[in-house]
Amino acid sequence: MGDPKEITTLQATTIIISTIIGVGVLPLPLFAVRAGETGAPLVTLLGILLAATGLFILTYLGMRHPQKTIITYSHDIIGKWLGRFCSIFVIVFFYILTGLAAREFGEVVVSAVLRETPLEVTVLVMLLLACISCRNNINVFSYIHNFYVPIILAPGLIIVAFSLKNSNLLYLRPIIGNNFQDMAAGTLTISALFQGAFIITLIIPSMKKPAKALKASFWGIFVSGGLYLLIVIATVSVFGSEEIKQIFWPTLELARTTSLPGNILQRLDVIFLAVWVTAVFTTLFSSYYLTIHSIKELCNLKDHKMLTYFILPFVFIFAMLPQNIVQMYKVIQDIGRAGLVITFLYPGLLLLIDVFKGWRKKRSVVQKS
Amino acid sequence: MVFRKANYKHSGRKRYPMTSPSKDLEVQDRKYITGSLKDTEESIKAILGENDDLSMKHFKIFGQYHAAIFCFSDLVNQEVMNKEILKPLMYVPEHLIGREKPLTLLMDIIMNEALYHSQAGTEKRIDLLIEALLLGKTVIFIEGLKEAIQIETKDVEKRSIAQPETEQVILGPREGFIENIATNIALLRYRLPTADFQVKTMKIGRLTKSTVAYCYLKGIASETVIKEVEKRLSEIDIDAILDVGYLEQFIEDNPFSPFPQTQSTERPDRTVANLIEGRVAILVDGSPFALLVPVVFNQFYQTTEDYSSRFLMGSFVRMARIVALVFSLIFPSLYVSFISFNPELLPTEFAVAVAGGRAGVPYPAVVEVLLIEVAMEVLREATVRLPKQVGGALSIVGVLVIGQAAVEAGLSSPITVVVIAITTIGSFATPAYSAAFALRMLRFPIMILAGIFGLYGVVIGVIFIFNHMLSLKSFGVPYMSPISPENYQGMKDVVFRSPLWWMPKRPGFLHPQNQNRLKKNDNTVLKHNKVGNDQREEKSNGGSEGNYDTPGNNDHY
Repeated sequence: MGDPKEITTLQATTIIISTIIGVGVLPLPLFAVRAGETGAPLVTLLGILLAATGLFILTYLGMRHPQKTIITYSHDIIGKWLGRFCSIFVIVFFYILTGLAAREFGEVVVSAVLRETPLEVTVLVMLLLACISCRNNINVFSYIHNFYVPIILAPGLIIVAFSLKNSNLLYLRPIIGNNFQDMAAGTLTISALFQGAFIITLIIPSMKKPAKALKASFWGIFVSGGLYLLIVIATVSVFGSEEIKQIFWPTLELARTTSLPGNILQRLDVIFLAVWVTAVFTTLFSSYYLTIHSIKELCNLKDHKMLTYFILPFVFIFAMLPQNIVQMYKVIQDIGRAGLVITFLYPGLLLLIDVFKGWRKKRSVVQKS
Repeated sequence: MVFRKANYKHSGRKRYPMTSPSKDLEVQDRKYITGSLKDTEESIKAILGENDDLSMKHFKIFGQYHAAIFCFSDLVNQEVMNKEILKPLMYVPEHLIGREKPLTLLMDIIMNEALYHSQAGTEKRIDLLIEALLLGKTVIFIEGLKEAIQIETKDVEKRSIAQPETEQVILGPREGFIENIATNIALLRYRLPTADFQVKTMKIGRLTKSTVAYCYLKGIASETVIKEVEKRLSEIDIDAILDVGYLEQFIEDNPFSPFPQTQSTERPDRTVANLIEGRVAILVDGSPFALLVPVVFNQFYQTTEDYSSRFLMGSFVRMARIVALVFSLIFPSLYVSFISFNPELLPTEFAVAVAGGRAGVPYPAVVEVLLIEVAMEVLREATVRLPKQVGGALSIVGVLVIGQAAVEAGLSSPITVVVIAITTIGSFATPAYSAAFALRMLRFPIMILAGIFGLYGVVIGVIFIFNHMLSLKSFGVPYMSPISPENYQGMKDVVFRSPLWWMPKRPGFLHPQNQNRLKKNDNTVLKHNKVGNDQREEKSNGGSEGNYDTPGNNDHY
């Protein structure tokens, strides 16, 4: 690592926030309501808690190996070949995630704003933007995330604030949903929306104080999770669970119901969507960067710049694979849940082995002496 | 070019290489003067002899020793030469009358007792003496001495110190730099009478041999930045440095970026303020601009006036400037995307008015806006280049008549003209010309993006620009600091101009060695406002009794 270690705790926090908040916000209330009906906020909260646990495990693991990412320390923990084998899964997963996020936002743009523009163009533009930005080093990566966080948080908070006058608390009851099996599945889906937080493994080696990574991930998940929870509560309390089931992007619909006082602009949803491009960009940027950097580390390359363009066509092709929006969301849900194996179980397992190894080492030292 | 066959006889049938006086000078490298006046005269004339402004005069020092004085007559101050150099050498000064002046002691006597000039020295090498002549010095050779006297007599006409043209202020000093570097350094030094203020000079430019000075405050400016400036400057090898802008292009970090990575200023007060923040200033002889490095983006919309006026005023004006900055970048593209993609966003009455205005216009909004924008750019360039007397008339003709005519001819809608006008005015409100230029330029790609993708395109374009800005660095300092990477001290001076007593430290993003601006962190500025500390009450009787203390401040703390 040639770059100086300059990432501050605040920057690490903002990276997590802006990575998590992405296009997933748009269908989030739908996922939550499908799983828990009126219990949607509870499902979301459980999802957040699950995601937070995963993130803390990963962060703790990273702090035990403050010079390395999951790609490199997995070699130490489970051996070179097994580590590489698992790393390939991590890379492929984030490669898929990048493609899907680009596709999902492309669908949103095409159906909400640019009706006549081909889907391929919007997806490609988005991917190009992420791809070109990925040529920077990790410090610039953190500057970019840090810079956009206010722009990402603001529209969400504004929508929630404006929708308060239309809300109906009755829609939120009963707080505990009805179907617990569905709720469990929904929890998984929602915690899958937080998978971007995996980026922390890349950041820790470049942090000024890796020991504060846990603080960064806590605040990161607190802020982003808080926003997600607020949005779910606001959407459900405005539309009610039955109506939400009919809408693909309830958050966008929520933006549509708000308007500025004084009739400065007739509608706000387009503006929100435009500003939302930043949020999607940062998410894409993170997963793209994670993919490229992991490949770089797996293959022991010196530089990642050349890889950025090399990967682009593959990501694009994958993004265009789902036939239509319905299939795409099915893929997103399935991949997201399957991904929990990689982002939750795999680090958990690594941590267990690592702790066990450490314990055994300590004991052997004690025995020797 | 002159072919000097004599010098190259040995080259035989080969083509004669082109030669020039400066090449001949290189041949003279490290040769010493012989002491024979005739030889010296010949070798100087061989190199500089073709110039009619080279003047040479024989005279006798103290009526005894043959000597010759050389200078470029138009480059030196004739009065100084006559009164301070020739007179004391030709007339024997009173205190020397009757003393013996042997040749061996002559140089000593002249340098220490006879010559009335502070910048006189001796030199033995002929090539250096010729260079000194070219820089405006006067050189005196004495028969029989192997040393020559060189005296600084340069006197080039310079304009007087005037109000800076490009950075006008309402409140604040009115001085601007001029072309002469000595005057410029003097302007800085009189504002910074501290031992920490360092000026280092070097010569850059093979032909122009321009004096380049870099100034900084030792103990405040970061050592790494100073070293980097020195390194980058010393690596420049070019024939001419005519302006500080030549240097800028060699020392900036990313030459392909539209954004300026150095700041040029005409104002000594601004230069000093930046030196105090820990920057390095670079001056070039012949340029009325100082180059400041490292820079961050937010300083391009700051002016010195922000600091000399009260902080509320300064903050308000600064926010207005930020709005202008945003306008100049994206206003036309927002217009295009609203009109062509999302007219439903506009309030109905306005949308109808817009549609009515555009009814006769055959082109799509992008083309219309682009046309008018290009016309505006041409107009702007024309007004800059035209003589002042014509310029005023042209701008009125351009703006009023062409705008009106374009609307009537159905080339554009009236609202487009309004939008373009606001944009143009917005770009004039950015105080730094180079930064305003960057945004002016970037407006066009964003407009085209807006024409293709609407608002989505605008945002993509803006993200792209921001990403670029975030990745830029100026001498190791991230361009967007103190916003990102964050720096709390620096952030007090980004959107708002915080009161001076809220900013006890220098902006940390420049890595200054000494961070303290105010003496103590818990400063006492606001104490005189606190309840029970009203000194005017205490001293209400004391004012007329010849108490010249400033009421309060001194005796209390």
